[in-house]
Amino acid sequence: MKRALTTVLSVAALLLLSASPSWAYEPVTIVHTERVEAGPYGITVGFGRWPIRAMQSLDFTFTPDGGREGKSGVVEASLPDGVAGEQWPLARHPRKPEVWGLDIQALGGDGQWTFRFTVDGPDGRGVGELAGVTVLAQPGPPLALSWSVAGIPLLALFGFLVVAWRRVRVPREQLTAV
Amino acid sequence: MSTNDSEEDRTARPPARLLPAVAVFAGTLLSLVGWSWDIQWHTDVGPDTFFTMPHLFLYAGSALCGITALVVVLRTTSAQRAGRHVDPTVGGRSVRVFGGRFTAPVAYLVTGTAAAAFLFYGLWDQWWHGLYGFDATLNSPPHVGLLLGNVATIIGAAMAFTALRAERWGRIGVFASFGVLVAFLPIPADVFQQVEGPVDWGAVCLACLTALLLLLATAFFRRPGSALLVAVSVAVVQGVLWLFTPWATVLYADAVGLPMREVVSPAPIMPTWIPMSVVAAALVVEAVLALARARHWSSRVVAVLGGAFAAAVLAALVPLQRALLFDVPLPPFTEVLLYLAPGCVAALAFGALAGVVAWRFGLVLRLLDQPSAAAHGSRTTTSGATA
Repeated sequence: MKRALTTVLSVAALLLLSASPSWAYEPVTIVHTERVEAGPYGITVGFGRWPIRAMQSLDFTFTPDGGREGKSGVVEASLPDGVAGEQWPLARHPRKPEVWGLDIQALGGDGQWTFRFTVDGPDGRGVGELAGVTVLAQPGPPLALSWSVAGIPLLALFGFLVVAWRRVRVPREQLTAV
Repeated sequence: MSTNDSEEDRTARPPARLLPAVAVFAGTLLSLVGWSWDIQWHTDVGPDTFFTMPHLFLYAGSALCGITALVVVLRTTSAQRAGRHVDPTVGGRSVRVFGGRFTAPVAYLVTGTAAAAFLFYGLWDQWWHGLYGFDATLNSPPHVGLLLGNVATIIGAAMAFTALRAERWGRIGVFASFGVLVAFLPIPADVFQQVEGPVDWGAVCLACLTALLLLLATAFFRRPGSALLVAVSVAVVQGVLWLFTPWATVLYADAVGLPMREVVSPAPIMPTWIPMSVVAAALVVEAVLALARARHWSSRVVAVLGGAFAAAVLAALVPLQRALLFDVPLPPFTEVLLYLAPGCVAALAFGALAGVVAWRFGLVLRLLDQPSAAAHGSRTTTSGATA
């Protein structure tokens, strides 16, 4: 019993140690930057992955010249045909608090994305766009295949209910009595 | 123990009946709390790893369910092979699995299979995050697989308690597990929000499944007040999650030294998804039942009308609840009606169907504590439960 317990604890410790990178919150690493002029405000846009692929999450940083103090605004990301798009307030990046940013954010589809910034600050409101950000096709297996695998428990549950319905005979009077 | 033993000897002692059902129920609670906490964490704090505390909750919950189910199946198999009586109140009637190598009470077969599926989808989720990153997307295929695994685990817990309906804590367990199931449903139902069109399929799905469970409880207990007690159970679960989720999120963020986001959710997220209108839907079911008893209608009428109207009430009120709790400005009254109408019509149709299915399975669950051929110590039975 003691030996078995020691073995189990050793295996658990090894598993935890081997998985240790999963414990740590990853630092924000910017591998590519672009510049945007939103009226009087210059912004450096940083990307945690480059090139970007659809559905693959990455860190975005938005660093206004002179710091973010006294400034606020929103950033809107969209595809030209309007099939995908989202808007976020310009807020502190959770793992890089000195700048605005989006943490582990994915863009839903491939194509030429546009990031539109609206910034309010001491020099009034400024608007600027970063257009033509290329997002490549999603990696991995086709989504239809993935969704089919995800639906297996539902099919299994449905099959179980069908078997139960067919095999268990409920007395007729119970089916109609209230 | 021979099959000639007295009825008292043939029944497992209270701890043997109580413990596995309670352990599985505790596991489902852990998972529910873990999901609620994790969703709040992603919205209000952000940084994620595989080993966050909310993740550990939801994985520990499924592990507890799986291990419990495994132990019960092994004990049942051992008893069956030794020719001892198998108590059908422990997880219901038994079925043979893997060509008769194992004898499994059906509730724990469902629970164990669901926990194994959860493990599979957990591994797939790890691979998925390796490929796509730790994006906080609730509706990814592996997440939906995990959620469906959790749903099946809660169904297993509910079945384990239904087999114990002769005892008070068994009946309490049925209401509690139905409450957990209704509280959990909004998370997997959220995947239907992606479906475009005039019908709010997320709300319709949630409405019909909730109506199904209200009718299931009514058919199972066959007494007035059952649907209302499910609604009370849902409210208790919702209240606990409402208080716990934001509190635990702030506490955990402080503990690991992470700041809250500058923009946080105005309300606890997952608890606000749980329909508050379950009470109204339950009152509809109770009213239909009372009317049917007074006028000697068939139970089929109760199933169809109760399911349809309860689902329609929920389909109308669920979107309104979300809009109000998340401070979404409502358009003019006529536009609200036009938005809700297609969903209500769909809910009427699918709710009626859900009611019929629920009534039948409510009666099936009443037979769960009847012994099956597989549980009699006979080695000649080949497979399956018998009527």
